[in-house]
Amino acid sequence: MTSRAFGWMGQCIPFRDGETVASALETAGVYTLGADALGQETRYFCGIGACQCCLVRIDGVVREACITPARSEMTVETMEVRRD
Amino acid sequence: MIDPEVIVIGGGPAGIAAAIEVAGCGYAVEVVEQRDSLGGAIHRQPIKGVAPISQASGPKARWRALSDDFASARIPVRYRSIFLGVDADGLVLFENRLACSVERLQAKAVIVATGAVEKVLPRPGWHMAKVSTAGGLQVMMKETGRAPKGRVLLAGNGPLLIAVTAQMARLGNPPVAIVEAGDPLGRTGAGFSMLGHMSLVREAFGYLRTIYLRGIPWMRASQLTAIERDDTSLIAVVRRANGREQRIPVDRIGLHDGIRPNDFALPNEKATSVAGPVILRAGDCRESLGAFAAEADGRRAGRAVAEILSGGHERADLGCVKIERARRAQEVLSTLFAPVGGACPISSLPADTILCRCEGKTVGDLRSLCERADRLTGREIKHNGRFAMGLCQGRFCAANTAALMAEIWPQAPAPVAEDLTGRRWPIRPVSIAALTGARATSTEHE
Amino acid sequence: MMREDVNVGRQFNNARREAMQFHPPFSAIVIGAGIVGASTAYFLAKRGVAVQLIDASAPASEATGAADGAVSVASKRPGPMMAAALSGVRLYATLAKEGVFAGAFKHRSTFIVAASDEECAVLEAHSAALATVGVRVDTLSAANLHQRFPVLSLKARLGVEVHDDGHAIGYQIVHRLLTAAQITVDRNTKVDGLAIAKGGRSVTGVSTRRGTIEADAVVIAAGTGSAEFLNAAGVLTPRKGQLLVTERAPRLNAAMPGAIMSGRYLLSKGTQKMANSTPARGLGLVIDPLVTGQFLIGGTREEFGDRQSNDIDAVSRILAEAVALVPGLASLRLLRSFSGLRTAVVDGLPLVGRMPGFDNAYIATGFEGDGICLGPVTGKSIVQLICGEAPEVDLTPFDPSRFERSGEKL
Ligand SMILES: Cc1cc2nc3c(=O)[nH]c(=O)nc-3n(C[C@H](O)[C@H](O)[C@H](O)COP(=O)(O)OP(=O)(O)OC[C@H]3O[C@@H](n4cnc5c(N)ncnc54)[C@H](O)[C@@H]3O)c2cc1C
Ligand code: FES
Repeated sequence: MTSRAFGWMGQCIPFRDGETVASALETAGVYTLGADALGQETRYFCGIGACQCCLVRIDGVVREACITPARSEMTVETMEVRRD
Repeated sequence: MIDPEVIVIGGGPAGIAAAIEVAGCGYAVEVVEQRDSLGGAIHRQPIKGVAPISQASGPKARWRALSDDFASARIPVRYRSIFLGVDADGLVLFENRLACSVERLQAKAVIVATGAVEKVLPRPGWHMAKVSTAGGLQVMMKETGRAPKGRVLLAGNGPLLIAVTAQMARLGNPPVAIVEAGDPLGRTGAGFSMLGHMSLVREAFGYLRTIYLRGIPWMRASQLTAIERDDTSLIAVVRRANGREQRIPVDRIGLHDGIRPNDFALPNEKATSVAGPVILRAGDCRESLGAFAAEADGRRAGRAVAEILSGGHERADLGCVKIERARRAQEVLSTLFAPVGGACPISSLPADTILCRCEGKTVGDLRSLCERADRLTGREIKHNGRFAMGLCQGRFCAANTAALMAEIWPQAPAPVAEDLTGRRWPIRPVSIAALTGARATSTEHE
Repeated sequence: MMREDVNVGRQFNNARREAMQFHPPFSAIVIGAGIVGASTAYFLAKRGVAVQLIDASAPASEATGAADGAVSVASKRPGPMMAAALSGVRLYATLAKEGVFAGAFKHRSTFIVAASDEECAVLEAHSAALATVGVRVDTLSAANLHQRFPVLSLKARLGVEVHDDGHAIGYQIVHRLLTAAQITVDRNTKVDGLAIAKGGRSVTGVSTRRGTIEADAVVIAAGTGSAEFLNAAGVLTPRKGQLLVTERAPRLNAAMPGAIMSGRYLLSKGTQKMANSTPARGLGLVIDPLVTGQFLIGGTREEFGDRQSNDIDAVSRILAEAVALVPGLASLRLLRSFSGLRTAVVDGLPLVGRMPGFDNAYIATGFEGDGICLGPVTGKSIVQLICGEAPEVDLTPFDPSRFERSGEKL
């Protein structure tokens, strides 16, 4: 099994080939994916892209973690992250 | 590339079966699927190097046959593509997540087979991290071959809970308890009717055997009344059949109160290709009856589209008689699992219980909006209370909001989820960069 | 009929009106629960009139529920519409202060920006015109503009900040008005016609499928549906608009000190008149940062009528223009698209006033793209007219009798 990893808030998250961002984060023990625009905790919920509760920013683009396959070159961040 | 004549949305059993039929009738067809692989909810494919989760032999064989047929029909699949709807000019729209673009296809027909979504009733604390749907936990299990870690509690209503329990057990981490609102063992009448559906009985028996052998508490006629949290754990507050309250510390909770069609904001069915494509629905997104019926309904829809396109409109089967048996089985199951003492009214929940998670709107917010002589429509409730206005577009709150409205105004015609959701595309939020061909610059960071 | 005859007719009407004893009617029916009807009902109720607000569907179910919501004079030229809009904005501010609209009216500037020579020229002239009627405007050079509005694209070469404008969401305003006046709306009730008294000079109420509903006065505020009550075909025409709403983006939203209007909007909107020469689909870009942190982006003006739908062509064009002005929008997602029909009058001015030929029937419609701004002040004015007072807004230019033809009721 290839061991690859993506970046998450300064952390390195290993994932297996074909795994979604959400499941890699869960395996790494990350259950809260930050806060949404209302300040509510985001998290994996439905697993099928429907509930929009698992939103993260992948290379700057808002994506559902549960239906986005992990890639090693990607940077995943919480929605509210700021770089200033 | 030449636009396909028929587009099938969704790569589950309904979509695959529909595509095979359409191709068999000589039409050029393509499948649009949001994930990386086919299978849908039930036959979710594991990632590379992971053994598929064990499944009853019948469904397994059916899926193998179906995917073999699909492969030999050489039907193209557009993976990682999210259906957005059909626009005013009849163009079929989807977001291609790989290319970061929105594509528009001019098809003669669209078969929508977007499956089901789970029903989740509101309970205090359901919106917190580490609380997922039971199906959500199952999806991850099927993909990764791993059970969710730690102490897991499954709660709600219906047969899926025991199925997930059995799968978790086989993967080495059975849930600490199942909290089930119904009492299937107490409903002997319905239990006898089950005997008419032997495959269901065999499946259920397999699950129950695992649960029994592992000694997993199956708390029937019980309700998960609240989820609380302390420094280290979630606390599941359970009201047992005898009225006693039990507080169970756990790490993870899976909720599930049944399934319903994932038909939110879908374009209406349309049995003619005049002024835009033919649009038919198939499988769970038309009626949630399970994989077997979905496949049959997919075939039906595929043939119906071929009939309509070849001018045989009157021969097209827009109903689907084949699924009658599955419908009866579903009815038996819902009688068997009917919540003891009826469904818990939403109006009895504490005022600060979240009803619409995306917009952070509570049971109390809806109650105070409804405190007036004037009876508001679903649309007014949506606009002025922001219920179902958020990113999930009502998938997880519209039905619950409508149910609470019906409790508040019992004399009025009962509102339904559709009163709060729209019929406009995009049916899912879509990247503006993809729509415009611009690069997402992420100024939100700056 | 010759021009003079019309004037004689008007004078006669005026004389008759003065002779009548004015007092608020005991009861009134308002047809249509859009923003105009809801405002009218609100001001009637405040005077103690028993109001029945009747709608074929539900409050804010048509244009009001699909509107952009600019409460703005920014795109107006001096003239009666400008005067009305200035009163309209003032009334919003007052009602916000009084509490009825508190939190529902966002006070903000409109920034009109120009990117081309043509737009710059139009904008400069427009800004000067706004100043002549006392609107507070600041002309911003490219450098000043980008300082004041850092998220704006560098393509913007000139900006005009129109102060004291605002934004309100039509359906929220209707809800506020109905809640404040405790009005119970008669939903799903289509009015089929006016019930006319013997002699034909006044109405006794309206007829519906449930029978006749009686009242001392009737106000028609039925948007595009008003055409059915008029005797003149072609006075009202629907004009479709498509609008978009994004997801929330609090930081980008907070970085926008006001709404952005593309200088091209002035070219698209013109004087509200869409002469036959203008294209069938105009696009006037406005980006409004909403209090929710979302963005409302609009919109089209389309001559072809009733398609209450959105097409990818319009949606992607609107968004492409929006991203060209505010590049940060590209990192957001589109949440919703919707569309509605504006009710336009052929001569570009609304129809507000007494229905020609009737003592106690009134009409208020035809606001095209200005009804959210003008709705409350129109409601107030028409109620003043009904009660024999001088209306807050001079309604003479909007008098429906301008379309009256010989011997015909409008
Ligand atoms: C969580 C869950 C668990 C279930 N467990 C069982 C079980 O144990 N036993 C049983 O008999 N039945 C079960 N069911 C029911 C069973 O999964 C369905 O009956 C069957 O899979 C329906 O087939 P379908 O093709 O209609 O939908 P699905 O199989 O769900 O397939 C729909 C496909 O469409 C895709 N899709 C959805 N929206 C879009 C979009 N906008 N753009 C592109 N693609 C999209 C999805 O990714 C999915 O691949 C379960 C259902 C759910 C939701
Ligand atoms: S978990 Fe629901 S959208 Fe990802």
